[in-house]
Amino acid sequence: MNESLRMVVVLAVIAMVSAGILSMVYGTTSVIIEENQARALESSVFEVLPGTTRVEILRRNPDELGVDDPREMREEEQKTTLIYQGLDDQDRILGYAFVGEANGYGGVIRVLVGVAEDTDAILSIKVLSHTETPGLGDRIEGEDFRGRFVGKTTADPIKVAQDIDGLSGATVSSTAVADAVRESFIEVSALYRGGE
Amino acid sequence: MVLWKDFVRGLWDENPTFRLVIGLCPTLAVTTSAVNGLSMGLATAFVLICSSALISILKRIIPDKVRIPAYIIVIATFVTIVDLVMHAYMPDLHSVLGLFIPLIVVNCIVLGRAEAFASKNSVMRSAVDGLGMGLGFTWALTLLGAIRELLGSGSLFGYSFVADGASTLGIMTLPPGGFITLGILMAVMNMISDRLKKKAS
Repeated sequence: MNESLRMVVVLAVIAMVSAGILSMVYGTTSVIIEENQARALESSVFEVLPGTTRVEILRRNPDELGVDDPREMREEEQKTTLIYQGLDDQDRILGYAFVGEANGYGGVIRVLVGVAEDTDAILSIKVLSHTETPGLGDRIEGEDFRGRFVGKTTADPIKVAQDIDGLSGATVSSTAVADAVRESFIEVSALYRGGE
Repeated sequence: MVLWKDFVRGLWDENPTFRLVIGLCPTLAVTTSAVNGLSMGLATAFVLICSSALISILKRIIPDKVRIPAYIIVIATFVTIVDLVMHAYMPDLHSVLGLFIPLIVVNCIVLGRAEAFASKNSVMRSAVDGLGMGLGFTWALTLLGAIRELLGSGSLFGYSFVADGASTLGIMTLPPGGFITLGILMAVMNMISDRLKKKAS
């Protein structure tokens, strides 16, 4: 075998073996990864809607989803097409929760917003994921900052420097959280109240 | 005896972080806490051991001219396995380290050991060298992380030592704190080495 042919064959074989091993590993782990993500989101719903014992999942627009493959469906769902409804042990509806997204300083910030059924005011918010600067922007996760959104309704501006105090040194991150909350709140509230 | 020497070399004399000063990108980025440093170190150690051993096995088969791409494929495969397994079984840890795990591929320690050691030595020695280098990297990162966490967040391995709201040295969790800590630790290590040398002579 001449030298260049040998180089091609060896490299191709190594690459093929690697691809084979990786597809096996991916096959087993991807299922667990998806389950974890779904479970993490659902358990967060319990946090933003205190007193919840059961979570029901409502589709914002089931017809528009239009996909049959479960994996594709999950991907679509993660693009914030779901509304989570929290029920207590007597099956009374406590409120609803949804995911909002906005671009922060270091990437996308995802927040889960919990809204009370009776007053339509925010009960609590939770930052699901972010890539903000540790020590500065990551204070958006803190109780203190998240508490500033409690009690807001769609009638409030929910804007930094208006009714929400931003975090000093983390203006971009604070603004992004407010944007994510406001935009998703207005959109979902209209759907939820109008579509029942 | 040879194996023992291969093992301890990575721990002190040729410690990747403090002596060779390579692989600094993940070092400075993830060592904001002791747990992060420890996990990043162990993930890198796993990749180092596996890729060093496998490259040593394949060293006669891989043609010299394509050795670097071949090494990178081997390393990238192990890194992806670590990434997927961590994402599946340690989702909390993965959400913190996630960004930096794929970067182990381009960590010069891994390719460096493959090129400098594994491609010339037996499988056993290469694996032991990988283990030593990996653990050397691990202890360095854990120490860096512990110091930065203690000063920057007032906690160690997640256990808090200060009252809520107490002011801590926030700069220590930011990149400058990483450089400062690394510099001081390197100075301390040089001092200890000098003392040991003087005693020996």
